Amino acid sequence: MTASARALGLLAVVLALAPLALPPFFLQLLTEIAIVGLFATAFNLLMGFGGMVSFGHAAYFALGAYAAALLVKRAGVPMLLALPAAPLAAAAGALLFGFFIVRLTHTYFAMLSLAFAQIVFTVIFKWKSLTGGDDGLLDVWPPAMLKSPAAYYYFTLATVALSLFVLHSVSESPFGYALRSVRENPRRARFIGINVRRLQLLAFVISGAFSGLAGGLFAFYNGSVFPDFAYFTKSFEPLVVALLGGAQSFFGPLAGAFGFKILEWLVSRQWPVYWPLFLGTIVVLVIVALPQGFVGLAGGQGWRTRLIRKS
Amino acid sequence: MSGLSVGMFLFLVSVGMSLIFGVTRIVNLAHGSFYMVGAYLMVTLVEVLPDRPWAFWLALVAAPLGVAVLGGAIEVGLLRLIYHRDPLMQLILTFGLILVISTLVLLVWGPDNKSVSRPDALAGSVLIFGQRFPSYYLLVLGLAPVVAVGLWLIFYRTRWGMLIRAATVDREMLGALGVNVAALYTQVFAFGSWLAGLGGALAAPTVAVALGMDGDVLTTAFVVVVIGGLGSFAGSFISALLVGLLQSFGILVFPAVSIVLLFAIMAVVLIVRPWGLLGRPEE
Repeated sequence: MTASARALGLLAVVLALAPLALPPFFLQLLTEIAIVGLFATAFNLLMGFGGMVSFGHAAYFALGAYAAALLVKRAGVPMLLALPAAPLAAAAGALLFGFFIVRLTHTYFAMLSLAFAQIVFTVIFKWKSLTGGDDGLLDVWPPAMLKSPAAYYYFTLATVALSLFVLHSVSESPFGYALRSVRENPRRARFIGINVRRLQLLAFVISGAFSGLAGGLFAFYNGSVFPDFAYFTKSFEPLVVALLGGAQSFFGPLAGAFGFKILEWLVSRQWPVYWPLFLGTIVVLVIVALPQGFVGLAGGQGWRTRLIRKS
Repeated sequence: MSGLSVGMFLFLVSVGMSLIFGVTRIVNLAHGSFYMVGAYLMVTLVEVLPDRPWAFWLALVAAPLGVAVLGGAIEVGLLRLIYHRDPLMQLILTFGLILVISTLVLLVWGPDNKSVSRPDALAGSVLIFGQRFPSYYLLVLGLAPVVAVGLWLIFYRTRWGMLIRAATVDREMLGALGVNVAALYTQVFAFGSWLAGLGGALAAPTVAVALGMDGDVLTTAFVVVVIGGLGSFAGSFISALLVGLLQSFGILVFPAVSIVLLFAIMAVVLIVRPWGLLGRPEE
């Protein structure tokens, strides 16, 4: 048993026992952390492993959230059947948009993903008869057995853990390594027979699907969905979280989600108005001073690479 | 008409954004925030200055200068540290600035919408083709060609403009030839911020000066710059007019889809010509 596996096991035990010790509020906070962690990890499959930075991942989060919420609200589908529709809808959206987006690189990749996300946002915002527009969709609750904070916490924890396992397997599979090689050198990857665009599109769809699942989980946690889910500020959430935690490692975004949410709670409890200022300042400081994120700092990696690059 | 003047504000903001990108290769997401700060500075200056006819014009000159100073300070204090890094880090940094600036604006000016009254000379309206138009829009429309020609003169008839154009083509070479590229970056960033501030100050009397205006302008200016081609000056001009008109007519003809239309056009442009109508391909 390696050290990291032991740490994971310990974490699992602690999280499983948390409801015995923590009041409901903290369980809700942990539920949110798990959801944001999944969203950021899915996002980071593209950014950290594929070198593709999407500025529009809120689109897939929102597609998932709205697909699940609409099925429950408009078609009366039970929640446990509606939730699987979230990743499916998001994957469909990611396939459609990704087909065009992966044709571009770097800045243009980021911009086209943002453009598609804005389209999704606008459609949700304007299509009042279906989506409720600005008012969102209210009363999207899970069934009674999952309604208590502890029950939904366990449900989310299990779903997220399973998803992270799948994402981790993906990142460690031959596919994951092919993705890394495309990040490092797309031309070389093509020479050794990798179909770069198809690989990138597949990564995009997987990432979109799990972002959608995070959206679906959040819809039932929140009890409602709003067009803001697709707004461009939401797209920056996984980016900031992954960056804070360190995009170079698989578990970086998860650690980032933890830090991000705790910090958000601490700051907005005291001074709700200052939270964006705080967040913005942190983002600026991390970029200027800690290129590897906080996880990099813990490993001493950040400073070393900085020194090497400087000398 | 109002479409044209919206296009004018957009042009000022997006040409500044495009200029900054052309030289520094930074997509400045905080550009909408500069526009907002310009509008808010205008509000304060008009309030503070004595109630004389010249006060409005003095404010119109001073507010953009204030934004230029802010932009220059940000360039020297933050962006200069990360030019060698991944362009995406620079994007994220300017996004962080959006959050910081919008909170600071909220703290300084409060959450309520503000308005700026038009100067007395332009408070009325004029009849054009049997339709009433606020005379203030005529000022805006009159300024459009002046600014466009002024920019053209700066870029193509001054040494400074020549350096800017040279920097967009090959920065290293320019530095090797003994030009102080770092100082040029600061100047360009301050100048681009000045343009955004001017757009905001000019727009202040025509809109409610409110907290959300940074995001609104940013997304639209972004579309303008992308359609026109990042770093292309003429491209920004054409595409700003196009988008301004499209927005105002779109709202009349098909209100529900006008914004979708905008982004759909941007998406099509990015797919067909990723570098924009008049831009240059990424190397």
